[in-house]
Amino acid sequence: MSHHASTRPPMSPRIQTINRRRVALNIAHKRDLYCDNAEFLVYHWSGKSEAFAPATGEQASSSRINIGDHNCRVDTGMPYPFVDEMPSRQKGLANTAENWAQDYRFFITHSPAVIDPCERIVGDFHWQLDEARTFRYPQEVHDLGYAARQLGAGGISFTHTCPDLSIGLKLGWGGLLSKVRANRRKFEEFGNEESASYLRAAEDIALGIMQYIRSYAEKAAQLEKAEEDAQTRGIYAEVAAVCSNIAEKAPQTLHEAIQWIQFFQIAERMHGHGNGYGRLDQLLQPFYDADIAAGRITRDEARDLVGELFLRYGNYFSLGGRNRELCDATCETSWVCLEAFDMVGGYNHLGVMWHADIDPKFWNYACDVVGRHGAGCPTLLNYELFRASELRSGYPESDAWNVSYSGCQWYCSPGNEYSDHDVNCLVLVQPMQRAIDAAIEQNAPDFEAFWKIYENEVDCTANALRDFKNATYLWQPKVWPEMVTSFCAHGPMDKGRDITDSRSVNNAFTSVNVLAVPNVSDSLYAIEQLVFAQKKYTLAQVRDAVASDWEGKESMRQEFLNTPKFGNDHEGADAMAIRVSEQVREVLESKRNIKGFCFRPSLFQFMGHTYAGPMLGATPDGRKRREPVAHGMNPMHGRNHEGMTATMRSFCKLDFSKYQGGSLQVELQPTFFPKEGRRGDLVEPFATSFFQMGGVQINLNVLSMAKLHAAMEQPDLPEHQEIVVKVTGYSAHFVVMDRKFQEEFVERVNYKTL
Amino acid sequence: MKETALLFAIHRLSTDDGPGLRNTFFLKGCALRCTWCHNPESISPQPEIWWTERKCIGARDCIAACPEEALTLTAQGLSIDRERCTGCGKCVDPCPSKAIELIGRPWTVEQLLREALAERLFFKNSGGGVTLSGGEPCLQPGFVSAFFRACQAEGIHTALDTCGFPPWKNFEQVLPHTDLVLYDIKEMNSERHQRFTGVPNEPILENLLRIRDFRTPLGRYPALWIRTPLIPGYTATAGNVTSIGRFLAENLGDRLERWELCAFNNLCGAKYAKLGSKWPLENQPLLDPDLGASLLEQARQALGRPEAVQITGLV
Repeated sequence: MSHHASTRPPMSPRIQTINRRRVALNIAHKRDLYCDNAEFLVYHWSGKSEAFAPATGEQASSSRINIGDHNCRVDTGMPYPFVDEMPSRQKGLANTAENWAQDYRFFITHSPAVIDPCERIVGDFHWQLDEARTFRYPQEVHDLGYAARQLGAGGISFTHTCPDLSIGLKLGWGGLLSKVRANRRKFEEFGNEESASYLRAAEDIALGIMQYIRSYAEKAAQLEKAEEDAQTRGIYAEVAAVCSNIAEKAPQTLHEAIQWIQFFQIAERMHGHGNGYGRLDQLLQPFYDADIAAGRITRDEARDLVGELFLRYGNYFSLGGRNRELCDATCETSWVCLEAFDMVGGYNHLGVMWHADIDPKFWNYACDVVGRHGAGCPTLLNYELFRASELRSGYPESDAWNVSYSGCQWYCSPGNEYSDHDVNCLVLVQPMQRAIDAAIEQNAPDFEAFWKIYENEVDCTANALRDFKNATYLWQPKVWPEMVTSFCAHGPMDKGRDITDSRSVNNAFTSVNVLAVPNVSDSLYAIEQLVFAQKKYTLAQVRDAVASDWEGKESMRQEFLNTPKFGNDHEGADAMAIRVSEQVREVLESKRNIKGFCFRPSLFQFMGHTYAGPMLGATPDGRKRREPVAHGMNPMHGRNHEGMTATMRSFCKLDFSKYQGGSLQVELQPTFFPKEGRRGDLVEPFATSFFQMGGVQINLNVLSMAKLHAAMEQPDLPEHQEIVVKVTGYSAHFVVMDRKFQEEFVERVNYKTL
Repeated sequence: MKETALLFAIHRLSTDDGPGLRNTFFLKGCALRCTWCHNPESISPQPEIWWTERKCIGARDCIAACPEEALTLTAQGLSIDRERCTGCGKCVDPCPSKAIELIGRPWTVEQLLREALAERLFFKNSGGGVTLSGGEPCLQPGFVSAFFRACQAEGIHTALDTCGFPPWKNFEQVLPHTDLVLYDIKEMNSERHQRFTGVPNEPILENLLRIRDFRTPLGRYPALWIRTPLIPGYTATAGNVTSIGRFLAENLGDRLERWELCAFNNLCGAKYAKLGSKWPLENQPLLDPDLGASLLEQARQALGRPEAVQITGLV
């Protein structure tokens, strides 16, 4: 076994050049991601657009919010130049896969090949398809969307899954195309026109992508001819050869495999926001091992290539976990990948999946890397719970073992699911507000009577969400099929059914982010104590105080605020949090989508907590209107008085195998760590203990408050421009974040000690 | 297990008071009066209250609840007549915004053990444990001894953070159940020690030598770390650090596992304000990092075992 890093490997001058370019793009706002408005962040649907973030074109929002430099594409500031030539604008838009694929093929083959000097891994893009093709559901879907929105729920259905790239790495685009053609002929022969039509569309997609990859080979060859410097010329020649090889054939070397992955990500992200891309160490291991055995590559070269992949864009990949036999899957490639991140650092979404038998040295190294870099990377994850949660939901063993961290707080069995993660939301405050009004009207005699009313209101909201989602699902494969992703999934190309369609992949749950669980449970606990048990206030007084934002009721507000809160290992407050979480889970699990799967709650919502305050009004937990709501299942800012371990104990009273994620956000001051000694030696026992207690995910930031405040004042200083933070489930450069996000971030409890 | 102690603070997952991640429990009552004391609320062995201006909304519920008429609301905020206040705590619960807090609540050994057991996973995974600090824990030796014994029975590592001044018989009670002693040597010159802390240092040095020779009934020596606070204008001098280093080298030899130099921090001014007094070192600048580095070097030379000396808290 080779030497494993224990300190940050140095960047070569070439990698430094690429790194400077990356940072410059982010700082120049070339990677910013926008959403429609605050309403979208809270409900994940605003009625304005079905797309996630079109920056230009007819669906771009004028009142957009910048949610950070969390975008794969490189913005030119210009609209897509060939909008008017899009086939759907020339020949008419139709909600069919073939019509969509014609647009996609035109779009990708009219996207430029972008190659910069020194790069051995190439590929960037400037526009998404929703900037050129209309992405709109019929009015009936919108009507149901507005109905759900009124009751406190919303969502779009778009990307946020995880393809299995091993399918494509094995077959190459030529192999994928042959498979599609064979299956198309089969369906034609047996008269299944729907599937045959889908596969004709898929042929278009594959041919478009192959042509796009060839355009990189051609561009690199041109650059090679014009280049005078021998070394740079050599790199262009190599790039030309690699791109030419993988345009049709399956990748044969590590370099080709990484380049294949980069092109897949681009081709896929061109049609939407994007996905997680699976277990990078497992995907690359066969290529790395073969290259090393054949003497084609050194370990350092391999590390630099993976580092370049990270520098192109830090997508959601995972390392570690268990293999098919449930033994530790950590391998030499895991080390190479983690060392590659340690080398390049910065913006990235890599996760390391802990389990009870993980190579302890690798785990300690992962903990040390996040401790040193301090920007939530790698995210520390509990593989045991991921797998348990998938098995509990009903995934077959053969799908569940391969589970991979795939996004902010969610995880997928790569290629085996389309579970509509991350962009559906249920805002629990609204059913609670309706329950308070109804309980006053019905004169609820005790807390249990009030609770029954509350249960009913949650059910109402969940029904509205179910109806909205089901109407969306009926149309989704026609309006916006996710055809590139479908190539690397188990099912779609065999069945001629898009990954978003029913009867396509094995698992198709509907995941729902539940917003403000801690606020609602703290509110209900205060109501139970002060209204029903102690009878200090009536429910009508609570309603009026909250409606007036506690105006003139400071003493009363303090009593509600100082009733015990979730996150302090307090028996009563935590029991209410469990009751509230379990109730919404049971309600959601009782709903079925038209694909035959249930709804699943995630105790997380990525950004709505920041903007939700004024939209939802004050709450009976003593929260004023202008204050944010709690971030995911984390206790409200400043309400965990008993230290981090008490918060962790409160957290772990929940059985996270029953939920689709719920991350613990930890912000530490650098002074927590003694000057001497490895940071990993403190992070590791902390994280291991949390996972042994049943925690599922830790986002760890190590940052100095003083430095963040200084960065808000002087965002132009180079040392401030490089600060990356794990905002929620995703990372961003601090200085490019929206001011409101910055303010919320620095308000969080920042632990000098745990 | 009827022993109780007055506890005024718990630091969880501390990395400052011994190896690994630890729970540090702070006991009330101290015999020393260090000018720079960072825990002024620890000194009195009685319960006290303190008041946080920022949290107060002027509800006056505390004033009505006080049986001693010790509280008045003035233009400057709540005034606490400390002569009258008995620390009964009756004003604490009525305050809607929790601006008044009681410092010092009685804990039984069982209660504190439950607190420690809740975090034993962290201790086990990090090689940590519990630390009793203060104040001076050895002023309540019966409790310390019973608590440490209970911890050891559960396999939890025990550390005692002491100023070394209590009578030797107190240590004799505690040491059999102590895995690690964190022992303060603040100042080598006894006259200066007296001036800074209110007591001479001879009893402290004598106790240290006895601890050096102490073996548990099972023949085990507790591990020994020495800690020296580096207070600018007081203890942070080359002469002091060198004399302590030589003393340790001559007298402790290999029994000394680690010597920590703890750089002055200024984070406790607010505590004095909440107790209605003023911290004498309020305007004292932090230890200059260059001075810190040179004191570390001198300490290492004087001890002759550079690897055993560390400095903490430098900014």
